[in-house]
Amino acid sequence: MRERIASGFDPFVLPFLVGMAFVLLYCFFGALRVLWQLPREDRRRFLLSLFIPATAWKNVKDIFLNCLLHVKLWKRNPVLGYMHSSIAFGWFMLIVLGHLEVYLFVPSRLHLFYYPIFFNYFVAGADMSLQGAFLFFLMDLFLLVVLSGITLAIIKRIRSDIFGMRRTTRASLVDTVGMYALWSIFPLRLLAEGFTAGISGGSFLIKPLNWLLEVVFGTEFLQNGANMLPTWWAYSIALFVFMVVLPFSRYMHIPAEMMLIPMRNAGLRIRHPRRGFALMEVYSCPGCGVCIDACPMSVKKGNLKDCTVYLNRQIRRGNEKRIEEISDKCLLCGKCTEVCQVGVEGPALRIAQRSRKEYGLSPDYAAVDVGRLSAAVADSPEVLYFAGCMTQLTPSISRSVCSVLDKAGVKYRWMDRTEGLCCGRPMLQAGRFAQAKEMVRRNTAIIKSSGAKVLLLSCPICYKMFKEHYKLEGIEVVHHSVYFDRLRTTGKITLTKGDLCYAYHDPCELGRGCKVYDEPRNLVGTAAYIVEAGVSREASICCGGSLGSISLSFEAREAMTRNALDNLCKGHPDAIATACPLCLSTFSRYSEIPVRDIAEVVDASCQG
Amino acid sequence: MKESVVIIGGGIAGMETAASLLELGYSPILVEQSDHLGGHVASWYRLFPDMTPASEVVASLKSRLDGVTVFLETGIQFINRLRDGYNVMLSNGVSIVAKAVVMATGFKLFEAAKKEEYGYGIYDRVITNRDLEKWFSGIPDERIPSAPWNIGFVHCVGSRDVKAGNTQCSKVCCMTAIKQAIEMKEKFPDAEVYCFYMDLRLFGKKYEDFYISAQKDYGIHFLRGRVSEVSETIDGRLLVKAEDTLSGRPVKINMDLLVLMSGMLCNPAAASIASMVKAGADDSGFLRSRDNVTGVVESERKGLFFAGACTGAKTVPETIAEARSAALSVHNYLRRPR
Repeated sequence: MRERIASGFDPFVLPFLVGMAFVLLYCFFGALRVLWQLPREDRRRFLLSLFIPATAWKNVKDIFLNCLLHVKLWKRNPVLGYMHSSIAFGWFMLIVLGHLEVYLFVPSRLHLFYYPIFFNYFVAGADMSLQGAFLFFLMDLFLLVVLSGITLAIIKRIRSDIFGMRRTTRASLVDTVGMYALWSIFPLRLLAEGFTAGISGGSFLIKPLNWLLEVVFGTEFLQNGANMLPTWWAYSIALFVFMVVLPFSRYMHIPAEMMLIPMRNAGLRIRHPRRGFALMEVYSCPGCGVCIDACPMSVKKGNLKDCTVYLNRQIRRGNEKRIEEISDKCLLCGKCTEVCQVGVEGPALRIAQRSRKEYGLSPDYAAVDVGRLSAAVADSPEVLYFAGCMTQLTPSISRSVCSVLDKAGVKYRWMDRTEGLCCGRPMLQAGRFAQAKEMVRRNTAIIKSSGAKVLLLSCPICYKMFKEHYKLEGIEVVHHSVYFDRLRTTGKITLTKGDLCYAYHDPCELGRGCKVYDEPRNLVGTAAYIVEAGVSREASICCGGSLGSISLSFEAREAMTRNALDNLCKGHPDAIATACPLCLSTFSRYSEIPVRDIAEVVDASCQG
Repeated sequence: MKESVVIIGGGIAGMETAASLLELGYSPILVEQSDHLGGHVASWYRLFPDMTPASEVVASLKSRLDGVTVFLETGIQFINRLRDGYNVMLSNGVSIVAKAVVMATGFKLFEAAKKEEYGYGIYDRVITNRDLEKWFSGIPDERIPSAPWNIGFVHCVGSRDVKAGNTQCSKVCCMTAIKQAIEMKEKFPDAEVYCFYMDLRLFGKKYEDFYISAQKDYGIHFLRGRVSEVSETIDGRLLVKAEDTLSGRPVKINMDLLVLMSGMLCNPAAASIASMVKAGADDSGFLRSRDNVTGVVESERKGLFFAGACTGAKTVPETIAEARSAALSVHNYLRRPR
């Protein structure tokens, strides 16, 4: 092994160096900016977390598994998983092995940034030793891996449906330039190394290519060092283009996610729609577009540009009008977050955006008489039942809940039978945190004064609110599906199996929102037969009735509801069971088969 | 030989069309799905504004049908368009070729149970306008208490309500509610009667007099505001929550009976029959007239005519007038040389 270029430099490395310097500086200042924007306590928390060994280890592990190996994506779609990890991990290995080569063979050049990248150009006969041959073999292997990923990427651009994606993002101009640059880097590297392989040596990939080139161009042509330069220039320029457009394209997710993961592990949350942690999420969006297919609003090609990937894009562009439109429209069903590989919290971003709105009028809750409402629940037995507004509008549910409680011999008090206060979630979803807080404060006082030990809820919207935003020490917050399943397993109620076959619909707030999937299914499975919908559980489709959207018209929701119903009816059930009053009334409007709440199903087959 | 005309639907519109065509010298064939003529009106008690017994109206229409071929309990299997007319296949196997067909398929009452927040079918004391008419005509209904204190009427149930899937005004319910409120007050003079309305549409002759009399002579309370929800109290009464938008306050009233004024939707059978001959329907579901000003009883298809509530909500006198108009249009159409 010897160095071929005594100076260890050639002008063709300059584009690469400029690009590299640019991208590093950009990311460095970008990271500083994000840190600066964090609220002080968040910043402290984040910086401290980096020094906690357990968190630090988790950071390294998460970055390795998610950014390089794309484990989550593998689980979801193995072909896409392979495509992404082959490019990311393959490229990573090429860089690592490049450094190893320099370290082993020319340690004096280790301080040169470009040396590991263009190693083959600068050396001759590097494959002459066993060590060198092995490293060259690995280099060729990983180059092949990356090339296979690039091939898949090209196929995906042309026929995304082969990969199970019906719709993908419409690439912006910068994204397209970045994409072509990325695609060309590795074939150009292959070509460049192929030209040089006769001198530098190579393995199973570039050596045969070299022979092939020899056949085409002739031995003399290849032995002239000047003739191989154009390919190395092209390779370097491709790298330059990619790195220069990177900060402005979706490829920014590569560096951004590496910072997002430690921030998330430190427990940071979105507090402002455009600053700090939110910005990190926005930049971490790879723009893959899986959220487009996942979005319940995208049915019948509607609202395609209102899903999270476009919100992120508009936030980066600063298009205020569209940002507001997209933020207001969303149903907040959380499915985009569920399918997102990076875990961009679309709903949280939107709620944060909504919180910036200014209102001329704000409701005043001063007139709410907490004393009188508290008196109505004073000396309550163990269970306090809060039906919530939505259940008040679907009396069949509250009636069944009370009937089941009576049959089980549970003593309870109905907190909002004649009057009550909203749980606050609609205000929270509208971004009106102060108003939501007011209601939380009053409800907390009422509930605490009751002396109850269990707060039973029929509406998953309230349930999520009470679970996450109330501090009710010593009081268990439970949804009736979970509570009834407990009554069943403890033998307080016995269910007889009926003849009907139900499809169970996971309400967004109960399923993705509170991770309750099994208890309702246990109940339906005991009281009747159950058939799974086309997609269910985490992938469940929002009924379209969600309170989350503040601008979707009633008519616009019909297609979404019908689409969700089609999915539920895939297994030809006799009826639909759900556990949310809002889903119930939304589905009932268009369903051709009966829709029942889980409480009704239980009540119908229950003996005390 | 007399020219045959097929009339689909034996309610008041179909009966009047058949009677008028008979008088004009045609041979009408009246097809009715149920086992009796008279449609919805046959189950009603009295008609506003003169409190005419509904049975008298139906009986007088029936008396003019001597000579009309009537098929009861008969549906439409299919209709084919021919070059000059229609081939109508009935469910009893009879096939009729006629140059003109009149659709008098009427309306369907909105299913009040779909507005679950009002508790129809869940609470014992919630009924609809139709249930009340039946009870007036003497059919017992155990949901109606013997001595109610408070009675409520909820206007616009399934009308002018985008969430219920019907944005149309059903036109007759305002007046029906006032009529029924007065009738209830007559039956239960000690009861307080409340009407919850969005706005009152009292467009017809004598309607306004009725409204003023309801307030002045009967002391019926009119509250402007929609009912938000209804719940049941421990003693089995109803707690109605609404907003009084005139005083700007929420109200809560205990009721012993709540009457839901269910609105009118197009009879779903009408759409399927119309689609066989490629006649369209409006977004509201009601059948589409050739022209809403000058051609309400004509369809976009030659030889196909409409009468009554199949094109939109209508009162009884309007339906009858339209049926006569349809008969005359058929007559003019058949007389025209082709």
